[in-house]
Amino acid sequence: MSTLNQRLGGPRRLSLPFSASLKNREIIAAYLFLAPFLIFFSIFFVRAAISSVSISFHDWRLLRPSTPYVGLDNYIDLFDDDIWWASVEHTITFTIMTVTGTTVLGLAAALAVTRPVRGQGFYRVLLYIPQLMSVGAIGLIWNWLLSGQFGVINYLLSFFGVRPINWLGDPNLVLPALSLATIWWTFGFPMLIFIAGLQGIPEHLYEAAKIDGANGRQAFWYITLPLLRPTILFVTVTGVIGHFQVFGQPYIITGGGGPGRASWTVIIYLYQNAWVGFRMGYGAAVAVTIALIMAIITAFQFFVISRRVEY
Amino acid sequence: MNIRHTGLYKNFGAYAFLLVVSAFVLFPLAIAVSQSFMTNQEVNRWPPKVIPTEPTLEGYRAVVTQQDIRLDLWLRNSLLAASGYTLAVLVICSPAAYAFARLRFPGNRPLFALLLVTIMIPGQVTLIPNYLLMRDLGWLDTFNALIFPGAANVFGVFLLRQFFMQIPLELEEAAVLDGAGYFGRFRHVILPLSTNALTALAIFVFLGHYNDLFWPIIVTSSLETRTLPVGLSIIQSSYAGQYRPMILAGAVLSTLPILIVYALFQRRIIQGVTLTGMGGR
Repeated sequence: MSTLNQRLGGPRRLSLPFSASLKNREIIAAYLFLAPFLIFFSIFFVRAAISSVSISFHDWRLLRPSTPYVGLDNYIDLFDDDIWWASVEHTITFTIMTVTGTTVLGLAAALAVTRPVRGQGFYRVLLYIPQLMSVGAIGLIWNWLLSGQFGVINYLLSFFGVRPINWLGDPNLVLPALSLATIWWTFGFPMLIFIAGLQGIPEHLYEAAKIDGANGRQAFWYITLPLLRPTILFVTVTGVIGHFQVFGQPYIITGGGGPGRASWTVIIYLYQNAWVGFRMGYGAAVAVTIALIMAIITAFQFFVISRRVEY
Repeated sequence: MNIRHTGLYKNFGAYAFLLVVSAFVLFPLAIAVSQSFMTNQEVNRWPPKVIPTEPTLEGYRAVVTQQDIRLDLWLRNSLLAASGYTLAVLVICSPAAYAFARLRFPGNRPLFALLLVTIMIPGQVTLIPNYLLMRDLGWLDTFNALIFPGAANVFGVFLLRQFFMQIPLELEEAAVLDGAGYFGRFRHVILPLSTNALTALAIFVFLGHYNDLFWPIIVTSSLETRTLPVGLSIIQSSYAGQYRPMILAGAVLSTLPILIVYALFQRRIIQGVTLTGMGGR
C-alpha cells in the first residue's frame, strides 16, 4: 500500500493500527500544519490575483477616490498603445539574446569544469561570483563599463580598431548591451545546473562509445547533448521566465529604460504606468496581460518538454 | 574515465576556455575595484586608466560620509529583511510541506496539484493589490511589507515536500512508539534530518530577497528604510554624472559582505543552489 502511494507521489503512510479517532486526529493535525501557509497564500496570492483582475476593469487612479467601472477599456487602451508593443518587442529581443547567451556560456563553462582539470572547484566558485551580486551593484559597474565616453569596453575594442560606441545612448545597441551585462551576471546558475546534469550521465556510455571508436566530438553530439536535453530545456524554461521579467538592469543601467524608451521592457512599462503615472487600473490590466503571456510561454515550453523527451 | 582524458595537453581546450571565461568574469570586477581608488579626474579620462597612479580612499570616504547615502543602514535593512523573510518562509512552508508529504487528509493531492499550477502564474499579478493592501494596513515603508507578502512560497513547499518524502518512515514509526505526536515527529524527526534541504532553501530565498529591487522600490520611500539594491539605484541616479569613483566604491562596499559570506560557505552555497535549482532532485 505504502509503495503504491509512494509511486503515485502521494503521502506515505505509517503502518500502524488505525482507528476512526486517530484518523480524525491526523486530519486535524494536517490542517493545523497547513493553516499558516494557507492563510498567507490566500491573502497575498489568491486574493491579490483575483483582485488584480477586478481592478483592471476599473479606472482606478491612486490619488482619486472614485474608481468607476470601465469594462475592458484598459485592455483596449493597452492594445492600442504602441509603447506597449515596443516594450513587448524589447522584452522578447532581450530575453532571446540573454537566454541564448547564458545557456551557451553556462553549458560551455560546465563542460570545461567537468573535465578533469586542475582547480575544478576553484573555477566553479569563481565563475559563480557575479550571480551573487545584487542588481544594484552590477548596475553601477556596467553603467560605467559601457559608458560611451570613458568606458573600458570601448577601450578594449579600440585595440581592434573599433571606434568608440555609444552603447547606452544608441537605441539599436542598448538591448545587446544590457543583455551582455545580464549574461555576465547570470550565467552561473545554468552552469551549476549543467554541471549537475553532466554528472548524471553514466560514465559507461562514454566507455562504450570509445570502444566503438567514437572521438570526443562525436561523444558530445551523440551522448552528451541528447542526454542533456531535459536539462537544456529546464535551463531555457527557467531562463525565459526569469529574463522576461527583467527590470533592474534597464531601471539602473539606462536610468529607467532609456535612451528615450529604447530599453522599456514590459515590467518597466508596468512600473511607469502604475507607480509613476499612478494608474492602478491600467497597471493591473498590464500585469494581468503580462501574466497571461508568461503562462502561455511556460505552458508552451512544458508542452515541448513533455513531447520531445522520450528516452 | 577513458574518453575524458587527463593531462594538460588533452585538456588544453578546457584550460584555455576557463582562462578566457575567468577573465570575462573578473575583468569588470577588477576595473570597478581599481577605479574606485582613483580620483574623479583620473577616472574621467581617455584612454581610461586601469591602475590608479596614486590610490586614494576619497571615493570611499565620500560614499560613507555623504548625507543622502546610507550604505550601513541599507545593508542592515537588506540583511534584516532578507533574514526575516527567510525565517518566515521556513516557518510557514515546512509544516505545510510535512502535511503534504506525510499526512492523510481529504484534499491532499488536489490541493497540492492546485498549488503547483499557481507556480505558472507570475507574481506580477499580485503587485498592485498587495501594494494597496500594504497602504491600507499602514505597512508601507516598514519591514512588514518586505517580509510577509511573499512568505507563502509555493516553491519552498514543493522542495521540502520532495525532501521529506525521502526520509524513511521507520524513523517516524519509532518516534510514534515513543509516544510522539504529529508535532513531535515533525519537530524531532523530520526537521533534524532535513538540515540540508532547509539550508538550501534558506540560501535560495535569502539571495532572491536580498537582490529584489521592484517590490522594495514601491513599498519603501524614506532614506532609512531603503534596501541595498534600491539605495544603489538611488546613488546611480543622483551621482552618475558627478562622482564616479564614489559610485564604484559603493558597488564594491555593498558587494564585500556577500563575497565574505561566499568565501566562507562556498561549498554549501553552491550545493544549495544546485539542489534548489534542480527542484530537490
